[in-house]
Amino acid sequence: MASTAPLVVRANPLRRLQKELFGSRLDGLISIALLAALLAAGLGFFRWALFQAQWVVLSANSTLFAVGRYPVDQQWRLWLLTSLLALATGLSWGLLRAFPGSGAVQPLWPRNDRWAAAILAALALWRPMALQLTLAIQLRWWGIAALLLFARWASGRYGPAIPHACRRLIPLLWPLLYLVGMVLISGGLGLVQVPPSEWGGLLLTVLMATFAILLCFPLGVLLALGRRSELPLLRWGSVIYIEFIRGAPLITLLFLGQNILGFLLPGGLTPDRVWRAAWVLTFFAAAYVAEAVRSGLVAVPAGQLEAARSLGLPVPLALVHVVLPQALRVALPATVGQFISLLQDTTLLSLIGLLDLLGTARTVMANPMFLGKSAEVYLVLAILFWSCCAALGLGSRALETRLNPHSPSAPQA
Amino acid sequence: MTSSPALMIEARGVEKWYPNGFHALRGVDLYVHQGEVVVIMGPSGSGKSTFLRTFNALEDFQKGSIVVDGIEISDDLRRIDAIRREVGMVFQQFNLFPHLTVLDNLTLAPVKVRKRPKAEVERQALELLERVGIAEQAHKFPGQLSGGQQQRVAIARSLCMEPRIMLFDEPTSALDPEMVQEVLSVMQELARDGMTMVVVSHEVRFARKVASRVVLMADGEVVEEAPPQEFFTNPRHERSKQFLSQIS
Repeated sequence: MASTAPLVVRANPLRRLQKELFGSRLDGLISIALLAALLAAGLGFFRWALFQAQWVVLSANSTLFAVGRYPVDQQWRLWLLTSLLALATGLSWGLLRAFPGSGAVQPLWPRNDRWAAAILAALALWRPMALQLTLAIQLRWWGIAALLLFARWASGRYGPAIPHACRRLIPLLWPLLYLVGMVLISGGLGLVQVPPSEWGGLLLTVLMATFAILLCFPLGVLLALGRRSELPLLRWGSVIYIEFIRGAPLITLLFLGQNILGFLLPGGLTPDRVWRAAWVLTFFAAAYVAEAVRSGLVAVPAGQLEAARSLGLPVPLALVHVVLPQALRVALPATVGQFISLLQDTTLLSLIGLLDLLGTARTVMANPMFLGKSAEVYLVLAILFWSCCAALGLGSRALETRLNPHSPSAPQA
Repeated sequence: MTSSPALMIEARGVEKWYPNGFHALRGVDLYVHQGEVVVIMGPSGSGKSTFLRTFNALEDFQKGSIVVDGIEISDDLRRIDAIRREVGMVFQQFNLFPHLTVLDNLTLAPVKVRKRPKAEVERQALELLERVGIAEQAHKFPGQLSGGQQQRVAIARSLCMEPRIMLFDEPTSALDPEMVQEVLSVMQELARDGMTMVVVSHEVRFARKVASRVVLMADGEVVEEAPPQEFFTNPRHERSKQFLSQIS
């Protein structure tokens, strides 16, 4: 019977694979050749990774890769910040699961979460050992991972007991934490100043990326609104800004920022090189975010603004409550795409002499002790960047489903 | 004449040109008194929707004057917002806010514009939803409702601002035939309660039953204005006869 055939195929993945890969003699030959090539490449890679590669280049420089030349006696501040971040992450994660939004029903520990927790625990156990860190530092990492998982468990378990008024304040934890983090990293308020020139490695990369991402988003939204404004000055200002920035490569703007800001501003006022680069990144990304947001604004039917206006909502309220929520939802994937490329663009900072991850890697590889170890370093860099970008992408997809009122998790009938 | 009800809409010699030079309104007059239901009919492109949309300044006009509820329409944005607070509008495409629940669609404007307490507005919103017959859908999103239900939500959303005038821009044209009646009966009830209404529509039965006056527009002008009985049984103008023969 024709109708049962597809069912059988679907029920047996092995049978389906066999049908797809070895359907005919030619298919079989091609499949065998490809599988053999894959196998050879995989074996070669593992032989290299396990026997030839000298990972000592990483374990010897792990602090440099993590924080650059941040003074050793001040590094407790970074540990504190990492712990706070772990705590806040666990807390938010647990609360998000305890309150799935729109009244949807969801288990407290879905399968993906159990996987994520297992991977986190495994990484926390294995990585410090693989990097041959001292026992004290290993213990710290274990503690931080345990803290994260504990916060996740506790907030998922006891989150619903928190009064509603307090719960609404919890998202404010993140901006607060960002400000606290800034103080912890740079000093001030009784802490010793650590000038930006001593920040480096992953710390500098993450700091630059988050700073630019956080600021370019509101800036981009304003530019997108400006570009669609009916006021000619605002509209043309936005158009010229966006098109100028999008027409120039980031690296030229970065060099321009390093040189020109020094001429434009009186001596003492020029921000540090690191901050100059951060602002250039922000202004650069804002132009791209503006275009992403504009595509979202175009997708909102004109009737929405008309309906809001005819209810008596003034334009700013209509934008905030009616147009932007819809436009940003449409623009979310493209915007996160911009954030991801922004994260990768931070590697250009190494070209203007900043010691971000790539810059640190280049100084390490220039060290005669580690000559010829570039494959190991670049591989780890690639994995690090991939992890960060994957996290951004996963977060954006989760946000999308959460914001979508017609998603299957929303209450039906 | 003894003292007649208050004049709610007073449009004199309204003329509008679109930016491409098209002369959409060619000196239109309309007077609507409190409690009246005026149905505007006319072939497509006659300017009836454009005319309706000038009453709450969704469309601008170049000549003439419009006074709504004692406020003259001008470029002053605050004045326009004041008019829009008192004038409800129902659109052909419903234009509900898809990212908000039905209840939030209703409460948004009263809470944000009139600054009324949320709990009180929600109570009123539920009453209104009851009145239009969809109280049980209050926590759904607009996309989960049928067209007729959406349009009834849109009417309730306008009513939640407690407007003094309601404008309807072809409220049943985008509906499947079996849903037209549920929307019309809500409108009928509204008219019975004494709401001042201006309706652009081709629903002859609704106009016969509810309208105080029927206005026929063609090519940006008012061709005929008469009580429904007279208009449908004994139209005076050739253009009206032609139009009526086309829609019946």
